[in-house]
Amino acid sequence: MPKITIKVDKDLCIGAASCVTVAPNSFQLNEENKAVVLDHGTEPNSRTYERTVEVTEDEKEEIILAAQSCPTLAISIFDENGRQLFPEI
Amino acid sequence: MRYLIVGGGIAGTTAAEELRQLDPDSQIVLLSEESHRLYSRVLLPFYVSGQIEREKCFLKRPAWYAERGIEVKFGARAQRLDLTDRQVETSDGRSYPFDKLLITTGGAVTRPFFEHPAISYLRTIDDADRLFGLLQKPHERAGIIGGGFIAMDLVNLFAGRPFSTRLFLRREKFFSQAFDQEASDLLRFWIEESGLVVSPSVGEVKMTDQGPSLRLDFGEEEWGCSLLGVGVGIVPDLSWLAAAGIKVSVGVRVNEYLETNVPNVLAAGDVAEFFDLTAGRHRLVGNWTNAMLQARTAARTMAGERTIFSLVSSYTAKVGSRNIIFIGDTNRSTTVRVERRGSKEEDGLSDIFYRDGRPVGAVILNRTPDRRPLTEMIQSSIKKI
Repeated sequence: MPKITIKVDKDLCIGAASCVTVAPNSFQLNEENKAVVLDHGTEPNSRTYERTVEVTEDEKEEIILAAQSCPTLAISIFDENGRQLFPEI
Repeated sequence: MRYLIVGGGIAGTTAAEELRQLDPDSQIVLLSEESHRLYSRVLLPFYVSGQIEREKCFLKRPAWYAERGIEVKFGARAQRLDLTDRQVETSDGRSYPFDKLLITTGGAVTRPFFEHPAISYLRTIDDADRLFGLLQKPHERAGIIGGGFIAMDLVNLFAGRPFSTRLFLRREKFFSQAFDQEASDLLRFWIEESGLVVSPSVGEVKMTDQGPSLRLDFGEEEWGCSLLGVGVGIVPDLSWLAAAGIKVSVGVRVNEYLETNVPNVLAAGDVAEFFDLTAGRHRLVGNWTNAMLQARTAARTMAGERTIFSLVSSYTAKVGSRNIIFIGDTNRSTTVRVERRGSKEEDGLSDIFYRDGRPVGAVILNRTPDRRPLTEMIQSSIKKI
């Protein structure tokens, strides 16, 4: 299965939580009201703003949709080769 | 199938995008009164503060629309709806026919004062450009009029600058629909801690033009300033819809499917006075997540998969480093019971609003850990309906 890297820029995150609504298995808000990244609903190792996760095509689509739903474009998605998938450059 | 969307903000653009995916061969026309491609209003304060560049506010590349076969008309203001011939006429005399229509016109800022170079609002990117320009100039005194979300953005933008700022609250409280006096006093304390002075209950502020500056008169006092930020709410443009027979109240009245009283005419986003299943009543919601997700739901219904809109939406206003979080229905006047945790003395409080025996909303001031459990509490209460 392909891997993608999900990064939240906490300086841009305002806690709108659209990402949580669209992809609750991949995002949740922490105690500072900022989005942190989950791996299929869990947080292996520790709480983090950046994760590389293995995903199906459907899951990848949902995560990109979540990134698109962010009002401050705080979420960036990269493919296995480091190419930025979202936001489009 | 001809889809016509009136309003090119996040709701209209999201609907266009979703419709293109669901109905690849259809005609999709998007009318936008503003002359810009889609940008995020939420990012405007980040641009004005210098945290990001202006270009980063835009969410779509110029070619995005054409790539998806979405015919977008910028600078097109809808003026007349003809439900017999099923077309919308714009102010430049053009007509746009449709089979299905979606209204996503949002609202325009309430402008209580005359036009003046020192005054700036913060709804559009044109407003942001103006405010950005004003902030490059030196000032001794500034003012803010307003007590809601935009006023908080203005507080964050003006605090810490080398000029004195006075905030005028026309009513008694900040966020007057959601807060009681204690919550408002706590917010006032934080704002004054950041260096601003708050003048509450000033009623209508009288303004006098003094060339490049303004003189504000309120009661016995006056405040001269060369920069005035105003955030006193938005008002939707409904008369052209009402004239055609669309049911309107404070917004375009729609059911839980976002359908108006007229078949194949829907509304979504800030303009939609929708039946909120959580709150158990019709209401207007003006936040980003609500606009975007309503648009997706409306598009699905229009493309043939009738879908109920159900969301406990939330939004955060930041004041300095503190969060004020609004979840669900936070209109105090329609709630029967309010449960409070914390207090002004504890520098943080949360209010949970109950109606018909269910939690329907919450407002959280500087108690961010309450967000998740209260959201879950409100979400699970829908299932009991």
